[in-house]
Amino acid sequence: MFFALTPFLWMIVISVTTEPDFLITGNVSYTFQNYRNVLTSPSLNFPAYLKNSLIVSSVTALIVTIITSFSAYAVTRFRFPGRVAIPVAVLALSMFPQISIVGYLFRLFSDFGLTNTYAALILPYTAWTTPIALWINMSYFFQIPTDLDKAALVDGAGRVKVLFKIILPLALPGVFSAFLLVFIMSFNEFLFALMLTIDHSAQTIPVGIALFQGIHGEIPWGNLMAASAVSSVPLVALTLLFQKYIVSGLMSGSVKA
Amino acid sequence: MHSKLLKQINSRETVIALLFLFPVIAFSAAFILFPIFGTFVNSMYRDVSYLPRAFIGLDNYSSALTSTGFWRATVFTLLFAAVAVLLELFLGLLFALLLNEKFRGRGVLRAAVLIPWAIPTIIAGRTWQVMYQYSYGVINFIFTSSGVAENNINWLGTSYSAFWAIVLADVWKTTPFVVIILLAGLQAIPGDLYKQAKVDGATMVKRFTKITLPLLSPVILVAVIFRTIDSLRIFDLVYVLTGGGPGGTTQTLSYIGYQHFNNDQFGMGSTISVIMFAISFAITIVYIKKGNFKKGIN
Repeated sequence: MFFALTPFLWMIVISVTTEPDFLITGNVSYTFQNYRNVLTSPSLNFPAYLKNSLIVSSVTALIVTIITSFSAYAVTRFRFPGRVAIPVAVLALSMFPQISIVGYLFRLFSDFGLTNTYAALILPYTAWTTPIALWINMSYFFQIPTDLDKAALVDGAGRVKVLFKIILPLALPGVFSAFLLVFIMSFNEFLFALMLTIDHSAQTIPVGIALFQGIHGEIPWGNLMAASAVSSVPLVALTLLFQKYIVSGLMSGSVKA
Repeated sequence: MHSKLLKQINSRETVIALLFLFPVIAFSAAFILFPIFGTFVNSMYRDVSYLPRAFIGLDNYSSALTSTGFWRATVFTLLFAAVAVLLELFLGLLFALLLNEKFRGRGVLRAAVLIPWAIPTIIAGRTWQVMYQYSYGVINFIFTSSGVAENNINWLGTSYSAFWAIVLADVWKTTPFVVIILLAGLQAIPGDLYKQAKVDGATMVKRFTKITLPLLSPVILVAVIFRTIDSLRIFDLVYVLTGGGPGGTTQTLSYIGYQHFNNDQFGMGSTISVIMFAISFAITIVYIKKGNFKKGIN
């Protein structure tokens, strides 16, 4: 507990003190100026980073949730060649280090003029987070009896209607945990974001925080920790609030084997 | 007649199935498979900004394999992965066993353990950076005021301490993942087994080594493989904490790959990337073989 919380608490402490060296000087004074700075100072661009992160992560999570719902439906409901091979291959692809594709994507996106756009992040993030969402959805869809679909199909419903009216409502907890995990993974990603964006029109929070520099060389720790706290608090809150879904998502995404 | 009809239905099913799977296949192919292939091709080219692009076969590989920077990064990456994964596994098992016991406040603890997992790695890295800070960082403050160290330690300034600084930050960030996976494994072990063992007079140590460990070993294997693959590609923490320094001693394979790309040396960057890809591929094969995926689908 202590081990898990200390750095997070220390981030908060630094973010509300005027000088980060209070431990040796002994002068502690508290302030909210750091928060005011990061939220309002136009030169720090922090609100832009936050906005970019939220848009990129939400759109990625939405796309991934939709496409993996269709795929998971196909894998759990149809018999066809590649039923086992395709999900396993998709999972295997996600195991490769980001560095092994990011250089190529950089060139590709430059050629298409996509560098420094939301699409430059959303496209690879979608590919990268698809496997975990696919496997989570599959594990939930398998638990729904196929008799339910069959009854609806006999009544004349189409496959898409069955997926939206029967499967998705029943598998909602699973679909939701897939959505959450993809959102958090996209929010946290750094290497793609670092290489495929150039400035605050598309850079995300991790890039903003990593490149955060003071004007005179010394890192402005108070501002930096305030920015870190503002960015972490929503994620920590989401995690604590939806802990059940995140845990079950992590479990079905990896222990399923 | 009957079999013909069945075939028709099946082929219709196949078409719909592939249609439903198309977006997933398309994304994976376009943004993972195809770029990996392209990287492989690029790795055999001289591709720098100041010379014309030219095919040079395996020259990039031979210069990588004979450069000290590459081997230093390889050793650092492997050593880091080995130490970090071992520590994470040990701590993860310890915490999972604790959290599997019934006690007051278990729910709160289980939630708290997830906090490091939820914080972006870059932000965690920055927070550790301020804690490792030389003159006023809280870690040096605790060390010197408790008498553990006489003088402040330059955590990120010497290669030896920087290694441990990166390991500690990584262990903090990723142990929660191991805890969650192992806890799930522990909960799947039937409680009756322990009751019976208690009746038979088995000690706690014996119950652990004879029941818990063997039944948990498949889950442990999954956790180890996931964590190994992930820690071999470590980049974020190195970028923030040391920038590969001091003197390049904490550069990892991902980091030197990134540096090559960043310096417009695309051929060499691709070569490093292919080598990393090969390492991950080997581990992934083991994972696919060990994990019983077919059983999960059929």
